[in-house]
Amino acid sequence: MRANRLGVLAVALTVTCMSGALTGCGSGEPAESPEAAPATTAPQGPVKLTYWTWAPNMDKIVKAWNDANPDIQVTVSKQAGGDDAAAKYLTAAKAGNPPDLVQAEYQHLPSFIAADAVADLKAETDPIKGEFSEGLWNLVTLGTDAVYGIPQDSGPMMLFYRKDLFDKYGIEVPKTWQEYGEAARTVRKKDPKAYLGTFSSKDPGAFTGLAQQAGAQWWSISGESWKVDIADEPTKKVADYWGGLVKEGAIDDMPYFTPEWNKALNDGKLLTWPSAVWAPGVLSSNAPKAKGKWAVAPLPQWNAGESFSGFWGGSSTAVSTKTPNKAAAAKFATWLNTDPKAIDLLVKEAAIYPAATAAQSGLGEAPEYFSNQPDFWQQAAAVSVGARGFTFGPNVGVTFNSFKDGFDKALQDGTPFSAAVQAMQDATVADMRKSGFQIAS
Amino acid sequence: MKRSQKGAWPYLFLTPAIVLFTLFLAVPIAYTVYLAMRRTRVSGLGLGKGARREAFVGFDNFAAALADAELWQGWLRVLGYGALVLVVMLGLALLFALLLDSARVRLARFSRIAIFLPYAVPGVAATLLWGFLYLPSLSPIRAVLDVDYLGATTVTYSMANVAVWGGVGFNMLVLYTALRAIPRDLYEAARLDGASEVQIALRVKIPMLTPAIVLTTVFSIIATIQVFTEPTALRPLTNTISSTWSPLMKVYRDAFVTGDLYSAAATSIVIAAISLVLSFGFLRVVRDRAFREG
Amino acid sequence: MAGVTAATAHRRRAHGASAGRPWGVAPTALLLLGAIYCLFPVVWVLIAATKSPGELFSTSTLSFGTGFFDNVAELFAYRDGVFWLWAANTLFYAGGGALLSTAVSAVSGFALAKYRFRGRNAIFNLLIGGILVPAVVLAIPQYLLFSEIGLADSHWAVLLPQILHPYGIYLARVYAAAAIPDSLLEAGRIDGAGEGRLLSRVALPLMVPGMVTIFLFQFVAIWNNFLLPFIMLGDDGKFPLTVGLYTLLAAGANQPALYNLILTGALLSIVPLIALFLTMQRYWRTDLSSGAVK
Repeated sequence: MRANRLGVLAVALTVTCMSGALTGCGSGEPAESPEAAPATTAPQGPVKLTYWTWAPNMDKIVKAWNDANPDIQVTVSKQAGGDDAAAKYLTAAKAGNPPDLVQAEYQHLPSFIAADAVADLKAETDPIKGEFSEGLWNLVTLGTDAVYGIPQDSGPMMLFYRKDLFDKYGIEVPKTWQEYGEAARTVRKKDPKAYLGTFSSKDPGAFTGLAQQAGAQWWSISGESWKVDIADEPTKKVADYWGGLVKEGAIDDMPYFTPEWNKALNDGKLLTWPSAVWAPGVLSSNAPKAKGKWAVAPLPQWNAGESFSGFWGGSSTAVSTKTPNKAAAAKFATWLNTDPKAIDLLVKEAAIYPAATAAQSGLGEAPEYFSNQPDFWQQAAAVSVGARGFTFGPNVGVTFNSFKDGFDKALQDGTPFSAAVQAMQDATVADMRKSGFQIAS
Repeated sequence: MKRSQKGAWPYLFLTPAIVLFTLFLAVPIAYTVYLAMRRTRVSGLGLGKGARREAFVGFDNFAAALADAELWQGWLRVLGYGALVLVVMLGLALLFALLLDSARVRLARFSRIAIFLPYAVPGVAATLLWGFLYLPSLSPIRAVLDVDYLGATTVTYSMANVAVWGGVGFNMLVLYTALRAIPRDLYEAARLDGASEVQIALRVKIPMLTPAIVLTTVFSIIATIQVFTEPTALRPLTNTISSTWSPLMKVYRDAFVTGDLYSAAATSIVIAAISLVLSFGFLRVVRDRAFREG
Repeated sequence: MAGVTAATAHRRRAHGASAGRPWGVAPTALLLLGAIYCLFPVVWVLIAATKSPGELFSTSTLSFGTGFFDNVAELFAYRDGVFWLWAANTLFYAGGGALLSTAVSAVSGFALAKYRFRGRNAIFNLLIGGILVPAVVLAIPQYLLFSEIGLADSHWAVLLPQILHPYGIYLARVYAAAAIPDSLLEAGRIDGAGEGRLLSRVALPLMVPGMVTIFLFQFVAIWNNFLLPFIMLGDDGKFPLTVGLYTLLAAGANQPALYNLILTGALLSIVPLIALFLTMQRYWRTDLSSGAVK
């Protein structure tokens, strides 16, 4: 039945197109370039690869590759980022026409793997395994024997703060979360319109990083089953800490990345942002007037003397299972993420924090926005060492969505944050059970 | 012209529409139904080749959609929101259309394009736009009316405002176009009888407009049931809108965020069925008037 | 600008007060209030587009910035002028789609309004019923089907599904029913004109104002459509403006959104729509009754 319908559709559409071509419909588009058509298997000539990415200026970086490798030509197709970008790639993979290469955020990689949409690159990546830290490598292997992508960038978390206002209010940079809470109360007293920080119920990535810092291990694989432990002690501790601060009014609850948040950053009404190493790019774009006023420090710790951090963001380059040119694609992905010249371009043009260990320590000049802090990259490298992550599960979409709904509700109703964490755990497990994943209890 | 030949013409005229309908609506809808009866089945870790397959599950997804409490709460929210939007938007659209059509009004061309303009503003811009206008620290309207536009109860009104703003021009033009199709001599006759403009509007124009009003109402009911853009656009700015605020938001979430295309398909068929019941129910009530033409 | 704000605030009061008043300036005033309500947020986009990134979040919402030309220059230079490519694509999708859509709608509407034939109501209801299925739902099945026949990620994949529009067919039917007198068609038949000739020489010219409305609606709808091209297209060289601008907004995890470029782009993308509207609106002035034979 279905095959018949499709057959009819195919015939009818072919007819439509042919008649369209005859009447010149196809020529109505002046801007279409001839090479945009998908490469039909040319017997000879260069291998053509398509690459979906949202990194800024990737065209320039890929041009360097294309100039040096006439036999493997890569075409960048710049996509939107975010959750629906992942859905788009999954849909394309399901339909059988994904790009050869795709930028995959670490948290989305497991769902790509589960959909059999990204290829195992174990053989191709064996020589470069040592160029990445074990923690990052785990994010692309999920702790299995396979390798599903090559790490590109990473986002160890740090504390960004308004140095000028800290000085003005006489606040020390908090070393522990307890000090952070006290500083928050001080700020409220000094300027009732300002807050030390805000808790965003829209950014599960940030919360994930804070939970990682506290030692959370939301997913893990043991044998043939998944272990899901989102409502573990460290996560609950983090949740209740922020819940308490919000409830007593010590910190704000406006979401990140909204126009209002931008304005607060500009006006000096938000004094800190526990964020990741990529924050300078966001700050310089959204709060350009505060240039030179921000400084960076390690995240406050749960116990004095520790030096842990977590990850917010970061992505890898993955190769589609459907590509006929897996070797060429892997070759390009390897170059992009390990070749010093490519990484140099990634840092300069795409403003990423590279995943490769050697590249991290080789970063020189601080970002322009932080020119007052020449040791910016040294700090980042130091923080990176203590940053701990965890394997993401196959349905992070469900978990992150449940984070937003749960914490929205907690903020609105004033209910405990740990209840929202429990809701995340329940939603995640329920969804995995529904699909039939093996879960260790 | 022979009768038999004339008999084939309407079908010929309708062929393009029917072909397009079959290809781009009927077949995808059939495919949606097919998807709605399936589900992914995973074994073990669900990683790598062959760990995941599609299975036929019959009406399980429909049962789940119908039993979903979030979905029914969504329906309730949309009901309240929809009543508000329908009355205000269509009321204003009718008022503006009648005013535009009246001979006495000045600056009609300017007003016509101004009221239609919001329809031309793309969603990406509308998101930013209303965010800026509602958020406390940036809002210029807050200086006039100082309330929390994104609070638990006000947010419904704020959303309705966005919908009215975006939709009033479209409906106004539909009604206005229908008004222009009414022969002018009808008004002349009424004027000769001494009717005022208001009386002409109420006694001549509105009855003549009834089919158009009925159908704009039906289309607006359907559009309201499918409300998606406004809550989705405002959601990043407030914690009062959940990811399942409206039924269609749940469909989007399932299909694009949590990767469950099958549930999304089932829920969407439920939405279509409810739209069908509501809109045809409404049509039945007013049927005789709606198709009195020809 | 303060005047605009105040006027918006007084909108409600003015509505209530003028309802029962005798004819005078009241209709014009009402219409202008509606125009201001609709225009105000658009004016905001205009103002916001003049702001440099630094001014956008730090200066008063209603004061002009100094960065308009920088923004425009930056937008045009972005990725070697990809904005123009997106604009050309959008023009192709919207122009081609709206033209075809208008043709299909007009011919279908004429057939449905002016012929009696078996299955007329069934076909009409079926075609109109298409609006019951939300676009969010159809996008993925449509994509999967287009992939199946190898047309995904092509211009066709965006153009073809947007030709059929239930609303257009409905409007065309209502308009044809009202604007084409049966007597005129009968007179034509007596003179020996074929049905095809009646359509092209009698019916379509009378339907021009209605067709203009359909064209405009469909043009704007395709111009602003986001989800279908977002799903269908992988190649950023085929993106329309909405999807292109979205890549600037959702610039990727942890990349700042390029607000100033988005706002400028959104503003520039409204300009052609305004131009289109201005050129099209003269067709509404056609006095329909003048040509009709009674």
